[in-house]
Amino acid sequence: MFARLRSFVRMLFTREDFEHNMSDEMRFHMEAYTGDLVRGGMEPEEAQRRARVEFGPQAALQEECREARGIRVADELRQDIRYAARQCRRSPGFAIVAIISLALGIGANSAIFGMMDAVLFRTLPVYDPGALYFLAHGSGDDISTSANYPLVSRYQSSGIFESVTSTSRRTFTVASTQGPERVDGEYVSGNYHATLGVQFSLGRGFRAEPDRPDGRTPVAVISDEFWMRRFGRDPGVIGKTLTIDGGIVSIIGVTSPGFNGLFPGTHADITMPLFVRALENAAFLSQRDRWISVRIVGRLRSDRTEAQTRAAVSDLFRRYWAEPENERPPGDIRLGALVPAGKGAAEVSKRYAAPLRLLFAMVGIVLLIACTNVANLFLARGVSRSREVAVRLSLGAGRARLVRQMLTESSLLAIAGGALGLLVAFVSMRYIASAFLVGDRPLIIDAHLNGRVFAFTAAVSLVCSLLVGLVPAFRSSRVDVTPALKASTTRPHAGRWSLGRILVVTQLALSFLVVSVATLFARSVLNMRSLDAGFSRERTLLFNIDAGDRSLTQAERAAFFASLETRLRATPGVSALAYTQRSPLDHSVQTRPLEIPDLIIPKQSRGASANVVTPAFFGIFDIDLVRGRGFTTEDRAGTEPVAVVDEALVHSYFGSTYPIGRRVFLGADREPLTIVGVVRSARFEDLREEPPRTIYTALAQARLASSEPVGDVKRITVAVQTTSNTAALATVVRSIIAELSPRVIVSYVRTMEQQFDAALLRERLMAALSVAYGVLALVLSLVGLYGITAFGVAQRTKDIGVRMALGATRRRVLSSILGETALTSAIGMIIGSACALLAARLVAPFLFGIEPRDPGTLAGVTLLLTITALVAGYVPGLRAATIDPVRALKEN
Amino acid sequence: MAKSAQILPGTLDMLILKAVSLAPLHGYGVLLRIGQISNNALEIPQGSLYPALYRLEHQGLIDAEWGESDNKRKARFYRLTPAGRRRLKEEAASWNRLADAIATAMSATPQEA
Repeated sequence: MFARLRSFVRMLFTREDFEHNMSDEMRFHMEAYTGDLVRGGMEPEEAQRRARVEFGPQAALQEECREARGIRVADELRQDIRYAARQCRRSPGFAIVAIISLALGIGANSAIFGMMDAVLFRTLPVYDPGALYFLAHGSGDDISTSANYPLVSRYQSSGIFESVTSTSRRTFTVASTQGPERVDGEYVSGNYHATLGVQFSLGRGFRAEPDRPDGRTPVAVISDEFWMRRFGRDPGVIGKTLTIDGGIVSIIGVTSPGFNGLFPGTHADITMPLFVRALENAAFLSQRDRWISVRIVGRLRSDRTEAQTRAAVSDLFRRYWAEPENERPPGDIRLGALVPAGKGAAEVSKRYAAPLRLLFAMVGIVLLIACTNVANLFLARGVSRSREVAVRLSLGAGRARLVRQMLTESSLLAIAGGALGLLVAFVSMRYIASAFLVGDRPLIIDAHLNGRVFAFTAAVSLVCSLLVGLVPAFRSSRVDVTPALKASTTRPHAGRWSLGRILVVTQLALSFLVVSVATLFARSVLNMRSLDAGFSRERTLLFNIDAGDRSLTQAERAAFFASLETRLRATPGVSALAYTQRSPLDHSVQTRPLEIPDLIIPKQSRGASANVVTPAFFGIFDIDLVRGRGFTTEDRAGTEPVAVVDEALVHSYFGSTYPIGRRVFLGADREPLTIVGVVRSARFEDLREEPPRTIYTALAQARLASSEPVGDVKRITVAVQTTSNTAALATVVRSIIAELSPRVIVSYVRTMEQQFDAALLRERLMAALSVAYGVLALVLSLVGLYGITAFGVAQRTKDIGVRMALGATRRRVLSSILGETALTSAIGMIIGSACALLAARLVAPFLFGIEPRDPGTLAGVTLLLTITALVAGYVPGLRAATIDPVRALKEN
Repeated sequence: MAKSAQILPGTLDMLILKAVSLAPLHGYGVLLRIGQISNNALEIPQGSLYPALYRLEHQGLIDAEWGESDNKRKARFYRLTPAGRRRLKEEAASWNRLADAIATAMSATPQEA
């Protein structure tokens, strides 16, 4: 079987060699035989004649040889391809429309598939990724992977897993000749590389370094990308040092390409063992009263099932939770949980899985529209070629051969469409991936045309060629020979016509669906933009400051922040300045437990969103004071600690009374805070959700990390209110800070508007892509409807001529054509709106401020499609109306 | 010259395989070799040789390669592939069974009937 296939394929490419070889071989045979006969005593001439006679008719034999060699099939295929190519050349318009339709449809599918591959399907390049789990807690949808280090060591010593390691993300500051650079990375337990089974290009991973510092020197493992970027792939990089966060660190290994840490979306370029972090401050190692963003990763023991492990984890977690000195998880989550870690942390994939699937469905529909379009073109052409087909059939062509020929043609178009589609996919994947590169933590999506995307594209193209070619091919090959030959012009018979109409109706219905979904998404984004989120975002510049350099003392930092404030306030165009731990929609989440004496708070509503700010904060973001006072400069270390709460917190804990003067305990702090003011609520964390209960404390009185002294600020966000061009201030800010201290790093300078847009990324992306698909669907339908109407008019020129000769007015002809188009599109739109109503449940989760069955949207889309249909009908209708009856009747 | 026999239909492929199993041969050589090993008892119609060779090559039972003939001429030489060797073995075995059976049948005498 394989031998034949191989021989067949070889034949396709070495056709000419074959012919040469064959005649050479036969000539050799006859010459050799002639030679033998001559040696046997025969006259040379007589010998030649005899050899020819005995050999037999050479041409016939050669044909037999060709057939034996499987060449006939190959030859026919080559003929079909040549014929198909000729057909395409003969009607280039048809070929171009078909190829572009398919390319856009296939390309859109491959692009979304490529994104899905990058975000959803790819596993970590480590040993047996399926056996890795995050040790989390919670249940159902409410699972958290945060933990703390005492819990890590508890799991490590439990023996539940083959090995347990931990990691936490960190942005390192790496000194370079061009100034400090911020590099994403992870702090990990010493057994991280061994537990995961990470491959190395150079050097080695950590060797179970203990998490506590014991006098050894700091080491780091770098990624392949960082090795390339920073060291130009210098093979002697092992042993070199980097200055990371002010400390000297020597490089011990380079991970192999493709491994970028446990957090898809970021590339961990530098990995350092925990003890390096502990050098700075070892307190977190024993801190039990906070959940921090450390992740615990375990590798399943080969002798335990997942269920057994899950039970053991749950048990351990419950016991840990019951110990009074441990921070209780917020809410009522006290179940240990296992979350598969083979694809890394799931934040990005969780956030984008559903949108991607929805977009995938949409591009599937768009492709279907494209296929119906091309199928329709084929059908139409099949009619005009039915005479040709009839001639070929009557000359003895097999029907199977005709079907094969048309499939060859559709395959050729699909292959061209697929190849061009790859280009479309490449460009759109680049566009989509680059759209993710916004915000403080731009998401790096490694989407590229890999083998899987190629295979997918090939498969889709194959399906397209069948969808597009099969129905028309069978239709055309069933041409009835005699009438088709007799007819002077070919008249489509009713059955075929209705098939074309059905295709157009399908197309319109699908377009209606796609366009209405796109409209809903676009309107959702508009709604989000115009929503009153409780804070203003105009003329505000934000940037992050990192003054955590080890060589800076607390006094130096304080002096820096004081003079930065003075300098910026004096800058023209700046009207106010605030330091804040968190800014609106910066993706930070910080829920801390709140206790209020003499008040029993149900467990599920115990936490509050906490922020630490300076007095000008509320003014800059236009957060109105409802009662009491805001912060003042008098709220500093040493005076009574105060807090400002928002209306949502008041509402859920105190009802309608304003709790001015009430004392509350925040987190593990044993010193109470006195509530001095109430402000309006704002959607700080998520635009889609009601504002969280929020408590603000004064920066001068707060500890930003539990291990740090009150009032000491290392990392903070600066919010600057401007009166003039906000973005232009960015360079001024940078130069002032560089002047004040070269050891302080400014990062992520952005306007509040930009941050707002970054927070809307998912919605904007869905809207942008679906609108693009909607437009595409609309254009394809326009072409489809136009095509079938125009074709109908061309086919019926004579009929129309007769009708006009019998007295039909031009207006009547035009309106009858338009009526036909309108009927077709009306049926399509009715089916389409039914589909849209059915799909409502699927799109609802992505909408904002609009119902999925919004009547206005459905009406608008109906109007849009009606206009499209009329445009598609009007042009051919006009042509029909200007038919000259005399000429139409004279023809043929 | 011994009286030559027409070859049975379907046996040509087997004879070709046998011939090229002894040594790589060109087309004309196959003809000569079959004559030689059958003591010139079998006569192959020259024309049917090539379609058969091409068929066998297509099936991957023999392989062809250009080489030099005895008189320094360029010629296409056929050799047996491993698949061809297996096929030859099978065909030879089944041929022998058939020939035995036919010989037994043809040697029957009236008494035994």
